[in-house]
Amino acid sequence: MRAAVRTGWRIGAAAAAALRGRAGRPLSQAAGEGGGAEGGGGGGSGSREAVERLVREHPVVVFMKGSPAQPLCGFSNAVVQILRLHGVEDYRAHDVLQDPDLRQGIKDYSNWPTIPQVYLNGEFVGGCDILLQMHQNGDLVEELKKLGIRSALLDAEKDQEKK
Amino acid sequence: MRGPLLAAAGGAMGGAGGPLARTIRAKLTAALQPTHLEVRDDSPRHGGPPGAETHFGVLVVSGRFAGLPPLQRHRLVHEALRAELAGPLHALQVIARTPEQWQSDPHLPSAPPCLGGSKREKRREDGGEAPGQQ
Repeated sequence: MRAAVRTGWRIGAAAAAALRGRAGRPLSQAAGEGGGAEGGGGGGSGSREAVERLVREHPVVVFMKGSPAQPLCGFSNAVVQILRLHGVEDYRAHDVLQDPDLRQGIKDYSNWPTIPQVYLNGEFVGGCDILLQMHQNGDLVEELKKLGIRSALLDAEKDQEKK
Repeated sequence: MRGPLLAAAGGAMGGAGGPLARTIRAKLTAALQPTHLEVRDDSPRHGGPPGAETHFGVLVVSGRFAGLPPLQRHRLVHEALRAELAGPLHALQVIARTPEQWQSDPHLPSAPPCLGGSKREKRREDGGEAPGQQ
């Protein structure tokens, strides 16, 4: 069984390219959505520099459709609900529907094709599916702890233990 | 994931779904040699016109995922469907398991909390019924 796991690491070149994530194509090659093709330079809300600033401005940053108060997509809503379950209400949320440049720029930055996108401590963590998985297997509690955020679910468990 | 799941090239849906569904199945099969693959067309639940293929969910069970964290597994799936994701495929839910994981737990996780943000919420101010098209 262990040997099988190790050989799993020897993936093909194409797959390895996929895993390079951000090291992939530069923003200037971004296929356009709206006028978003400016990328690369210091300008534009979708440029690498602009996106970098956004993902670093808070320990928890979410790029979504709509807002936490009014999500406009079921997957974005799921992210908001999961964070809420953990008592995380103070985070930065960016509505990509308001900004086509950002909508494309964030996909190029993370080399990830869909919205929502969740960043913890400036690092791309995944979308709705992955956040849900992390929530269900306890990883999210741990990741929040690393950011100095105590998940509300820990307190919920404590209350149960007291009873 | 809710709703009926479509089995893989074992011919589930009497017609095996639309062209995009077949493409997704073929590309994932070629790229990841799954031991188990389910492709589900969620498009009708997202208000597209009949026959629109825009939102899919896939369950991929493959030894290629061994040792890889979820992010990297999903990237492999995205890479296989890069052209589709740059085109008509608007949304893609992914569950990626190794054969061992699937054998020990051949069930899907429960649905995400509160699948809201439906077209109804968006249209509330219009006072209209949830439309078939945007």
